[in-house]
Amino acid sequence: MLNLIQNEWMKLWAKKGTWVMTILLIISVIGLMGLTKWINNQDRTEATDWKSNAQEQINYTKEALELDLPEMERKQNEETVKVLEYRLANNIPPLAEDGRESLIINPVGVGSFVVLLTVIAAAGIVASEFSQGTIKMLLTRPVSRWKIMTAKYITVLLFGILLMSIGFAVTVISAYILFPSGAGQELKLVGNAIVPVSVWGHGLYMLVLSFANVLITATFAFMIGSVFRSNGMAIGLSLFIFFTGNTIALLLSQYEVAKYLVFTHMNLTMYETNSVFVDGITMPFSLVVLAVYIVVFLVISYTVFTKRDITA
Amino acid sequence: MDIKPIVELQNLTKVIGNKKIIDNISLSLYPGQITGFLGPNGAGKTTTIRMMVGLMKRTSGEILIDGKSLSEDFEEGLSKVGVIVENPEMYKFMSGYKNLLHFARMQKNISKERINEVVTQVGLEQRIHEKVSTYSLGMRQRLGLAQALLHRPKFLILDEPTNGLDPAGIREFREHLRTIAETEGVSVFVSSHMLSEIELMCDRIAVIQNGRLVDIRDMAETTQSHYYLELSPAEDAKSLLISNGFTIELLPVGLLLQAEKDQIPFIIQLLTSNKIDVYAVHPHRKTLEDQFLEMTGGGQIAESHTK
Repeated sequence: MLNLIQNEWMKLWAKKGTWVMTILLIISVIGLMGLTKWINNQDRTEATDWKSNAQEQINYTKEALELDLPEMERKQNEETVKVLEYRLANNIPPLAEDGRESLIINPVGVGSFVVLLTVIAAAGIVASEFSQGTIKMLLTRPVSRWKIMTAKYITVLLFGILLMSIGFAVTVISAYILFPSGAGQELKLVGNAIVPVSVWGHGLYMLVLSFANVLITATFAFMIGSVFRSNGMAIGLSLFIFFTGNTIALLLSQYEVAKYLVFTHMNLTMYETNSVFVDGITMPFSLVVLAVYIVVFLVISYTVFTKRDITA
Repeated sequence: MDIKPIVELQNLTKVIGNKKIIDNISLSLYPGQITGFLGPNGAGKTTTIRMMVGLMKRTSGEILIDGKSLSEDFEEGLSKVGVIVENPEMYKFMSGYKNLLHFARMQKNISKERINEVVTQVGLEQRIHEKVSTYSLGMRQRLGLAQALLHRPKFLILDEPTNGLDPAGIREFREHLRTIAETEGVSVFVSSHMLSEIELMCDRIAVIQNGRLVDIRDMAETTQSHYYLELSPAEDAKSLLISNGFTIELLPVGLLLQAEKDQIPFIIQLLTSNKIDVYAVHPHRKTLEDQFLEMTGGGQIAESHTK
């Protein structure tokens, strides 16, 4: 199996496109950081006092709490108020917006870029064997088809993990080069206690959460690529889902069915950023739904691939 | 033949939709022998070969490789088979060497030395580290042969291997195959619709038409069993020979006689003692094309060509 993964890895990196994608990722992340820096410089208006900001937000959120809110939103608002009150009481400012810590703690851009690039690799890894005609060379070896499939899938995952790591590394390096260290401390409510949040721990945690999105979208692309043997179709459909998924979930959010749609759960970071908009879902529930979808996608891919007559 | 066959097809059948593409084919292939697989386009050559190498599933029947069923142990069976399916499509964006490395990793225990050995064998040492996209068709064909030989297969299967090669390339390829069959005792199975090609290359031919095996025969046997006789008067000779139980065919000049070599002295004596003048006797090599048309029936070929 290791040999097969080595083979797939070798083929992946022998393609110019893979290098271009990786360089594109690095440039995009650096570009995003540069843009953030530029915007920060532009509206460096009066440095407002964080305390009055916090007080303002507390009042605003409390007003909102008077209204009849859905359970989830109420909880989120209550948490916000508690954290802010704790800050004021103990004089702990939030992370400075122009400090490098606030960029590391939430490396949002990385996940989305990596989804795009991993989808391209996942879509092509089976489909391109067909379009190159190499499939008949590949499958006339003394290796069962499911093994070849597994090696390809693992290679896609490794590629995703590698891109994630590169993206995060570039984020950290450019954060250190472009931004000063900022004061402040991130806090969150755990049970009834307010606890400090580690910048690195939380940053990595966000990265892992956004990897779920990479995983599900890439697995979908992998399935389409191996079922329809078409690279373009797999990329197109996967990116369509990636970009419109959130909108579809939002449109259907008031219906029960939304809970079981893959779109609702693709973005796991919503649990950390308090942007859950479908009632009654939790992190474990999302993980189960995602796992079921991944298993279904893989079963379809494997079944079609191992049963297919190669006639091309 | 008492040698154990390397490959046996037993009642192999493939049905696609409700059409029988391959109908109950049984065939054995022996070590050291090159068997040609001949048939008009669309007769089922490629389908048969694809079932033998695991690209297509069979509907019923068995494929035994070295005595073991391919359906029971695919990996074990195919580890003895080297395959070139039509034009060997390589990974063009990689060097020839990396392509070989790729296929070597899919076999058990192939050393770097073995890869180099095969590269030398097919004469690609000079260009092996260049990208395959820069190779000529002939070089790609050699690389294709190299990947098929890496694991020292007992059985080599080639589907239309000379498609697109120039005459020199074809000749070189043919000589390669001969050497491999003779020196390493490999059994070779070559499909083609090019009759002259098969004629020069093969020891034995199997003819397929409309999914059925029409005939299997040894080339040696088929090419030597006819003799051309130039004699006069031809009419007398004809009736004489027929009355002695020979099969003949009257040609514009002379006649064609079906007989074994050791019968020839007797035939000459028979003719001369009956006052028939014999001017020439020589073995007639019916071209494979004649035989092929004979076996498949000319009309039916045309029919399947138009499909």
